[in-house]
Amino acid sequence: MKLCALLLAYALASPAATYFLTISGLGGEPDYDQRFKMWALDIDSSLKKAGDGNVTTAIAPNREQIRARFQALAGTVKPDDALVVMLIGHGTYDGVDYKFNIPGPDITAVELAALLDRVPAARQCVVVMTSSSGGSIPFLRRPNRIVITATRTDKEATVFARYWAEALRDPAADTDKNDAVSALEAFRYTQRKVTEYFDSAKRLATEHSLLEDTGKGDGERNPSPENGEGRLAAAFTLVRLGANAGAAHDPAKRALLAKKEELEQAIDQLKYEKAGMDAADYRSQLTHLLLELAKAQEALDAPPK
Amino acid sequence: MPRRSETRVLTLALSLLASLLPAQTLPQAEALWKARRYQDANEVFRDLVAREPRNAMIRVRWGRMYLEHWQADEAERLFDEALELKPDDAGALLGKALVAAEVYSGSAAGFAERALLDDPKLVEAGELLARLALEDDNKSKAEAEAKRALALDANSVQAKAVLATMDWLADKKESPWDPHAAKGYETAGHFFMLNRRYEESIAFYRKAIGLDPQLDSARSQLGVNLMRLGRDEEAYQQLKTCWSNGFQDSATRNSLTLLDSEKNFVTFRTDRTILKLNKKEADLLRPYFEAEMRRAIAVYEKKYRWKLTQPVQVEVYPDHPDFEVRALGMPGLGALGVTFDNVIAMDSPSGRPPGTFHWDSVMWHEMSHVFTLAITNCHVPRWFTEGIAVHEETAASPEWGDRLGPDEIAAIKNHQLLPVAELDRGFVHPVSPPQVVVSYSQAGRICDYITEKWGWETVLAMLRDFGASDDTATVIRKELKMEPADFDRQFIAALEAETKRTVENFDRWKEAIKRIDAASASRNYDDVIRLGSEARDFYPAYVEHHSIYEALAKAYLAKGDKAAAVDLLEQYVHAGGRDPDTIMSLAKELSAAGNRKEAAAVLDRLNYIYPMRSEQHRLLGELWLEQDNSTGAIREFQALLAAKPIDVAGAHYDLARAFNLNRQPEAARNELIDAMEIAPGFRPAQKLLLQLSGAPDEPAATKK
Repeated sequence: MKLCALLLAYALASPAATYFLTISGLGGEPDYDQRFKMWALDIDSSLKKAGDGNVTTAIAPNREQIRARFQALAGTVKPDDALVVMLIGHGTYDGVDYKFNIPGPDITAVELAALLDRVPAARQCVVVMTSSSGGSIPFLRRPNRIVITATRTDKEATVFARYWAEALRDPAADTDKNDAVSALEAFRYTQRKVTEYFDSAKRLATEHSLLEDTGKGDGERNPSPENGEGRLAAAFTLVRLGANAGAAHDPAKRALLAKKEELEQAIDQLKYEKAGMDAADYRSQLTHLLLELAKAQEALDAPPK
Repeated sequence: MPRRSETRVLTLALSLLASLLPAQTLPQAEALWKARRYQDANEVFRDLVAREPRNAMIRVRWGRMYLEHWQADEAERLFDEALELKPDDAGALLGKALVAAEVYSGSAAGFAERALLDDPKLVEAGELLARLALEDDNKSKAEAEAKRALALDANSVQAKAVLATMDWLADKKESPWDPHAAKGYETAGHFFMLNRRYEESIAFYRKAIGLDPQLDSARSQLGVNLMRLGRDEEAYQQLKTCWSNGFQDSATRNSLTLLDSEKNFVTFRTDRTILKLNKKEADLLRPYFEAEMRRAIAVYEKKYRWKLTQPVQVEVYPDHPDFEVRALGMPGLGALGVTFDNVIAMDSPSGRPPGTFHWDSVMWHEMSHVFTLAITNCHVPRWFTEGIAVHEETAASPEWGDRLGPDEIAAIKNHQLLPVAELDRGFVHPVSPPQVVVSYSQAGRICDYITEKWGWETVLAMLRDFGASDDTATVIRKELKMEPADFDRQFIAALEAETKRTVENFDRWKEAIKRIDAASASRNYDDVIRLGSEARDFYPAYVEHHSIYEALAKAYLAKGDKAAAVDLLEQYVHAGGRDPDTIMSLAKELSAAGNRKEAAAVLDRLNYIYPMRSEQHRLLGELWLEQDNSTGAIREFQALLAAKPIDVAGAHYDLARAFNLNRQPEAARNELIDAMEIAPGFRPAQKLLLQLSGAPDEPAATKK
């Protein structure tokens, strides 16, 4: 219930801007260099197609160049805005610190955290798509920041970025059909695709993605209300796939919007009570509510008379 | 815990005591072994070897104990050590022969013959040679070897068992060689199993343990064979008894494990089919398997003019090791399916890397065994039943079946094909792993050749002859009116003519593949196209990893020539290409080019190779919806849901659209409710629900 209300609040609020920074690191050999660059450009293209203008992509920058990018963001981004930082490449974790491999001296998770802290965006999402990326969680986690890592501390190169790019453009990632892909939806989509990748090749999975968004956890494979992870990620929109913001600005439709909200809450409540209900009764009530919701949406979608 | 000084005192005391005790002897070790006190016997053997490191015989006896205790690797190591000490030691050579025979290795006979050279009176080596010859279906040699062993020992149970088994396999009720011994009946059980006559095999194993209830090796095989025929309850009891008695070989252990995993499977029964699937993939696979089982049975009943009297059971294993347990103890390497009377066990399409096998081809292959075994009352020789099965793969569809592979090319080139009358040897005792593959291919091509030259009626007549217990040479003389050696000459001449171009250019093709790979890696697409176009026709049947078709298609795509790429990929599919990614890319290109019907046909073919990916079902369902094939679309969207897609709500909505087109409004509404339970704001689903609620009699117009 609370999750739904939170989602709705974001949907109805005047959308603040989301800033994206994608960095591909060193591959170590031409094949990996090429692969990391391709994935970074793929993400760039998906974001630009979705119409989000604040997209920056850096291919194999050194530490100074990365610092400069963050400094620019720190000067532009407002507290209401959201920041998404995506790192693609190789990473190492020696049990003490995580390092993202870039030309010249590597950048450590401690430095990354400091750079992120300087950007005023209250809501942040960091996606670390490298080997050993789980090692970065203790340094990057913070309230109102989602940290997604491609793996735990496994050392093999990951394929997470390849499917993350897909998640940003595939409508199938939008599992609740609200015309937007949230960080949680993208995480689940990517995780599933990576699992399929290893399954279909009959190979033992060498990457185990994690999500942390409470500011104090170690990351979860399966974020859920039971483990408390995923709530912030569910409400964090990464990309919008369609126009779904118009009605909030039309005074003539506010009553319908309120009815729709009421119905959505009633459906959520019913689903919450499902376990304790007679199956036929549940189905009947659900059908009635969904039909009413469909009618309300139809009225909302109707052109003004 | 004693202090260090106390420990030292204790050790000294034990050493003193050991030196006072009489030295342990080989008879003591043997006695402990016979009493099944394997650990104690092992200790004595170890001490003996330490004391007499140059004594080969102790190592041989120790190895034989390991062999009895199901530790063939350790046994072989000891036999090898013995042979280093004494290169011609008959006992060690016999040990090597026994280890090889356990895995149906073609080297077993050679070791046994060498053992006999060193010790011409070694009865056990003679017995083994008789057994190996009968396993190869070489009856004259088996008889000669058995009689030679009996000349050395008139009471040889194993020699008698081989001779008696030959009589019993020929359906003689009585045999003058009946060994009247449990181990002799156990041997008969083994041969009936090998000849796929499982009921009779079970009867002999029962007879064996009836005479000697302690003969757990026979009891274990009884359990394994009961399991093969689906009599799991008794199988479990027999195997459990073995386990409790301390008989814990890998067959017993793994079979018990498999029986314990029954809870993971679900069984679907119809009047003609019994389908056992793992619960995790049952919903996805059932429609495809059940329909194909029914189709294969109907086609074969007509073709073989044989009506099955009971349903056929197909068991599908997603975990290859589980399937391996079902095939345990059978000759042949790397099998994909195995048939026991009317029970087929096979790998699931998910059990192997995608594109490495064609499940429907395997199922039709195995299903043909059900018929050839039934028609001949299990008297068909292995080469002929396998040959027909391989023939049937391509008869079912020219795109199915394994293509001419590098091993077969090498065998043709090096004149290594076996004479038809000895072809069983290639299946049972291959001299190298490729010989099994080559023998399958050769048998299949022989059946193709007979069908083309003499007609299918001749194949059926040959089956009837085998059913009457005629051997291969007799059947060839009777039905093909020629000597087996003449048949071999004619067949090989025809095969060499057919494969001439590929065989002669095989080395050039290999060289070209390397250059094409290098050109592909450096993105030199003009070179890929030039080299690929030259080399493709050297070996057009090659559709495995690194095929020229795929390399050429990628090169054409990179150069923007989509039409040429699509043409190449179509050739790849028609030539038997099975890589799911390549087939999917062809379907997408065809679809994008507006050839939606062809795209649907390509995706439908993929279902019979690798149906595990949700994306292929979504695409095919969509194409079939467009083409008003609502029944097909329903099946595909149901498969999409069963494949547990990421977008579950979308899959329910797609299925609702298919039900709507199929004029099933209630089913469509149910799917819509399921979709919107997950995603209440799913607008296309909302619209269709409103339409269905307004006009339930006509299919509502929908759009994706």
